[in-house]
Amino acid sequence: MSAPPSGGDLARRQAALVAALVAGGATPAGFDPQRLAATRRALLRKRAGLVAAAWPLLAAGAGPAWQELFDARFAGVAPYGAEREGWDLARELAAAGRLGPGALRELAAREAASRYDGRTAPRPRPVLARWWRGRPR
Amino acid sequence: MDGGPRGTGVGWRTGIAAVLDDLDGLGFHEVIAESLHPGAVPGSLRRRPVVVHGVRLSPGSPDGVAPDRVAHLAACAEATGAVLVSEHIAFTRAGGIETGHLLPLPRTREALDVLAANVARTRAELAVPLALEPIAALFDWPDDEFDEAGFLHRLHDRTGAPLLLDVANVHVNAVNRGRDPRAEIDALLAGLPPGAVAYCHVAGSAVHDGLLHDTHTDPVPGAVLDLLAHTVAQLPGPPAVMLERDGRYPPAARLRAELDAVAAAAGHRPPLPAGGPR
Repeated sequence: MSAPPSGGDLARRQAALVAALVAGGATPAGFDPQRLAATRRALLRKRAGLVAAAWPLLAAGAGPAWQELFDARFAGVAPYGAEREGWDLARELAAAGRLGPGALRELAAREAASRYDGRTAPRPRPVLARWWRGRPR
Repeated sequence: MDGGPRGTGVGWRTGIAAVLDDLDGLGFHEVIAESLHPGAVPGSLRRRPVVVHGVRLSPGSPDGVAPDRVAHLAACAEATGAVLVSEHIAFTRAGGIETGHLLPLPRTREALDVLAANVARTRAELAVPLALEPIAALFDWPDDEFDEAGFLHRLHDRTGAPLLLDVANVHVNAVNRGRDPRAEIDALLAGLPPGAVAYCHVAGSAVHDGLLHDTHTDPVPGAVLDLLAHTVAQLPGPPAVMLERDGRYPPAARLRAELDAVAAAAGHRPPLPAGGPR
């Protein structure tokens, strides 16, 4: 392992550390790899908890496998907010036919209430569109 | 600290607000700034003195604190009539990524410069003092120039900012590094003027990956209550102390019992429920 870089460069070094913790970057020189790995897992636990709070039926449907499911999708992916993370995961699982009835209802309700383009914050649909999408069929 | 929080408090969370409403003897509440809308302060937050507690200001970021986040802290403090604002000695974002987590700084002169500048910028917008909380972290930077106490003493010299001493953080940091938590408290307090501690936090912890994690979702261990008592014994008087509980809330009776234990360790009277003794 090379010597740690000298000071005067805190912003760049913080960015390298953050990349290593949440975005799949390499462990920066001089840090304890096991402690960073434990921190990485702690961040994923916290993040999975926030997504579970925002998408309770999605998480409940996965049961004890929720953390594993979350990690498989989001380890190495920089956080972009619990609402969108849960939405992406729900859509992907629905497309793969892996979503239970409760989580499917939860996803359908969100899709009816808001328009989400997969990239930016979801926006509430106009009232009429919400009624049209949410009508019994 | 004059005008600051007093007695035993609890972090105000919607999940336990009803239980907290029933406790007449609580001294204060702390509310998370990022969970508060200044235009819609819940009525139960107006019953007691409030500390506004920020978690996403990132005072350790070299590119400065975001003006909108400083403005939000100031607006929350004004809307709640807060007696104090607190934030963390940490950074939460870098390289365009918001981690949603408090990350440790290297204990270096460069980090002290960054913190001092950001604390000054933040304080300029606040009508009340800004207290700073040392965080719990599982790792350290490889190039520390100071130990934790030395770093915090220098930060206090530079900023004069009162300390929010999270006794549970000191506990988990010491345990995870094979150190004596009491010795860490002693080293810290020995270099601070009397009155530098604005208030204390206690919280629960749990073991993951063979390390102790500061979870805020588990009961406060006896070791942390003992460390609180050890801390209080060295201060000029019983400090304000606050229980942080962020989820997996216990039944009301257990939460009250935990608060009684925290109050006893801090040298306060137990926060009795409304309508007399249980």
